[in-house]
Amino acid sequence: MIKVLLAEDHSLVRAGLCRLVDESGNIEVVAEAEDGKEALDLIRKVAPDVAVIDISMPAMDGFELLAAISSEFPALPVIVLTMHEEPQYVVRAISSGAKGYITKRSAPEQLVEAIGKVYGGGLFLTSFAAEALAVNAAGGGKLDSPLEELSNREIQVLRRLAMGQVNREIAEALSISIKTVDTYRQRILKKLGLRNNAELSRFAIKQGLVDL
Amino acid sequence: MRLKTTLFLLALLAFISSLIGVYIHYTSLQANFLAKAREEGESKAEAMRIRLSAFLSEQLKPVSALAGMEQLEDALIFKSDGKLKAANRVLDHFNSALGVDVCYLMDSNGDTVASSNRFDADSFVGQNFKFRPYFQYAMRSVPRTYLALGTTSLKRGVYFSYPVHSDKRLEPVGVVVIKDRMEKLEELLSTGTGELIFLTAPSGIIFASSSPQYIFTSEGKITPEVQRELSETRQFGEGPWEWSGLSYPEPNTAYDRLGKKYLVYRRGVERFPGWSIQVLVESDYDYLNYLKPLYSENRPLVLPLILLICVSVGILYRRASMEVLQRRNAEAALRHNEERFRTLYNQTPAMLHSIDPSGRLVRVSDYWSELLGYSREEVVGRNLTDFMSDESREHAINVVLPNFLRDGFAKEIEYTFIKKNGEPIDVLLSAITERDDEGKIFRSIAVLVDVTERKRAERGLQQARKMLENYSRDLERQVRERTLEITNILKYTPAVVSLKDREGRYLLVNSRFSEMFKIGSDKVRGHSDEEIFPPDVATLLSGHDRRVLEAREPFSVEERMEWEGAVRVYLTVKFPLFDEDGVVTGVGSISTDVTALKEAQEELRRLSSRVLEGQERERAAVARELHDELGQVLTALKMDAVWLAERLKDGDERAADHAHKMSENIDRTIDEVRGMVMNLRPGVLDDLGLIAALEWLSDEVERRTGIPCTFRHSELPRLGTVAETAIYRIAQEALTNVARHSGAARAEVALKREAGNLILTVYDDGEGFDVEPGKPFESHGLSGIRERAELIGGSVEITSVSYGGTRVKFTLPIDAHIREPEN
Repeated sequence: MIKVLLAEDHSLVRAGLCRLVDESGNIEVVAEAEDGKEALDLIRKVAPDVAVIDISMPAMDGFELLAAISSEFPALPVIVLTMHEEPQYVVRAISSGAKGYITKRSAPEQLVEAIGKVYGGGLFLTSFAAEALAVNAAGGGKLDSPLEELSNREIQVLRRLAMGQVNREIAEALSISIKTVDTYRQRILKKLGLRNNAELSRFAIKQGLVDL
Repeated sequence: MRLKTTLFLLALLAFISSLIGVYIHYTSLQANFLAKAREEGESKAEAMRIRLSAFLSEQLKPVSALAGMEQLEDALIFKSDGKLKAANRVLDHFNSALGVDVCYLMDSNGDTVASSNRFDADSFVGQNFKFRPYFQYAMRSVPRTYLALGTTSLKRGVYFSYPVHSDKRLEPVGVVVIKDRMEKLEELLSTGTGELIFLTAPSGIIFASSSPQYIFTSEGKITPEVQRELSETRQFGEGPWEWSGLSYPEPNTAYDRLGKKYLVYRRGVERFPGWSIQVLVESDYDYLNYLKPLYSENRPLVLPLILLICVSVGILYRRASMEVLQRRNAEAALRHNEERFRTLYNQTPAMLHSIDPSGRLVRVSDYWSELLGYSREEVVGRNLTDFMSDESREHAINVVLPNFLRDGFAKEIEYTFIKKNGEPIDVLLSAITERDDEGKIFRSIAVLVDVTERKRAERGLQQARKMLENYSRDLERQVRERTLEITNILKYTPAVVSLKDREGRYLLVNSRFSEMFKIGSDKVRGHSDEEIFPPDVATLLSGHDRRVLEAREPFSVEERMEWEGAVRVYLTVKFPLFDEDGVVTGVGSISTDVTALKEAQEELRRLSSRVLEGQERERAAVARELHDELGQVLTALKMDAVWLAERLKDGDERAADHAHKMSENIDRTIDEVRGMVMNLRPGVLDDLGLIAALEWLSDEVERRTGIPCTFRHSELPRLGTVAETAIYRIAQEALTNVARHSGAARAEVALKREAGNLILTVYDDGEGFDVEPGKPFESHGLSGIRERAELIGGSVEITSVSYGGTRVKFTLPIDAHIREPEN
């Protein structure tokens, strides 16, 4: 049984999560905390295998907690489970030491899998999270990067193109029209001075946008 | 010129007519002479003829007498020596008595039997002259006179032959001949110089002549026939007979070899048919000869006379033409003077007129007619007084004109003339008269000075003076009033007013100044700040004076002044004082106490800031509430719905389906709530800070609008919430504006740190807009940006180029806003 600590200030949600985890059979919620402080205390007490923590919490929020865990229990894999869906949160969470990032609404589908994955020493990232990380790593927004001229959205499209996704797939994933995807593609090629998708892929790999 | 030509022609005519006179006289003289010469020639020719006739008949009677001598008859009949001797004696006797050349006797055969020259070398005795016509004629009993050259003696002579008859025979027994010398004749033909006299045979041979050279020459060319005949007769020797060289173009005119002209007078010779005597008179020679006496008599006179005439004519001509030239020059000068005078008169920019003694205008200047509006033709000949006003006319007729005509001048008479258009014109008239040689006035000249303007000006001046007096009284009153007003203003104004000279000494302070600094104005005046106030106050009071003096421009400044424990804020306007020449003479200062205003402003700012902060706080609270409460509940609900759906999946499929739909609905609701939350206040800003928030904002704008939006930034520290919020809101507002107005193809957000400042730039390449100077925000709904910027002490600059994009640049001094590290 994998022992899980759940730090979530909202009781309703916590209850829902407990149910999700308990029903999985091989995972057990060993401790529930309402805020960060409590969570840290409980970790010290029960030594869970995995910590699932929310970001928005009173008295020490998720990032502070994450920082504390990273320094005090570096081996404890932490999954950030949050309402926030902005890529910036993903980047922040992972760079702060989280091993997984899940939005609350995808929890029913992904939480159990994520706990298993991080418990096994892996990193659980949804495609959305992976993308956010890649975009950030590629330096989008930072000055003096080769991708300086590109917006984050363009970097997203670039990455997906580099990974071999077709326009339709990209359009669906980003909730934009196929035509817009093509517009993006043209724009990216022009801005980077590339000629085709092959060059584009090579460029993305070189910039570390895509893992081989 | 014409006159000169005429003169020249006259001189020429005089000269020519005198020449013609001389010529006529000369020709008449010549004609007269010629007639005379002809007459003389004729008479000479007649005289010659008579002399010749006499000569040729001289020996006729002696020869007949000789022929009757018995001795001769005897000698011929008997031919004895005795008889011959007797005959010879007779012959000798006759010869010497007659003084002829020779006397000789021929027998019937023609042989000479006796001769007076029988002892000479060329003795004829024995010679036969049978061939001679005089012999042959005599043998036929016809005495004959014959002119010929002697064949033996080779002397010319006149042969007088006479038959010697014997009683016994019918026929002559011989012929006696007296030959007279031709020279004798020639002596008779004595000639004057320039004359030739010829005795010419019918054959044209000149037998005798006053000039020996012509003897035996022929008058004309001799034909061979005549030549032969002459040779046969041997009358004139053997020949040849050359041409005399004389030619006769006319019967009575001849020219010799040298071309000398002769007049020819010809006469026939009695009893010698064909023979003629010619007198040739050298025509020129004779003419000159004739004229010479006259000429030489008058010569000393003629040439000088002609010369004198020539010279006199020349001198007279020259004198006359010089006279003409002088007159012409004088006339031209006179004309020129007259012209100049007229031009001067007409064009003098003064009113001039001239009248005759009857007062009629004879001449006016251009200016005169121009000023009065009449043309010259309209006025000349009319009475001067016609152009005067009634009053002036009366004055002129009764007083001025009589005096003027008497005295010969008039000085500064005041008249009023009436222009053609009826306007009066005041003039001052001065005039003098011109008198002729007899001292009678024949013309005058008057100068008129238009004094209308002067009179008007005098009147105007008087009026002006009066007005000026009134005006200055009024001015003084106004000055008093204004002074009072200003004094009151200075007295009651809440502002502190002072005036200083260039050296900073007070000239004037108002009562408020005295009150404030508790010092009487009399103690301030003439002193500088340094002399009156403590150094810090003095520095403050005179602080900007120098600058105003130099810049010559007003200058306003807000100053805080501590005076007797209270801090007050003054808005001070300092301004240069100028004198009339624009020289700065001092500095004026008006200070208004704006302490209350400043406090109110500050209060307003604080209030505004609090309002914004409160707003943000409220938003944040609402957002958090929505996010944390509603969001969480919805999330829990969603989990439940998913759980339900999973549970019912195998049993009640409809219920499971329903639960699934419920889950989806909840999801959508979550999205909506999230949207609301992010709009109110993005959690990213509070949770992750400004950079993450701006990054998210850029993505969001791009996602919503489709305009590619890049965000770039340098490393930055976290700033205070107020600052971060303000920057975020400024960026948000600027981007909203981009989305709303610009039609941009691209937007850029940049955040960087530069020399202690944080600089946020939002740029778009849209169509831009005209930035209204001084009101860049209001015009484009960007006023919120300025408000937020000012509240946190930053500044905003907006540059926009039509079709060249818009850039909103926010600058914030960063130091005051860096977030204190927690803990």
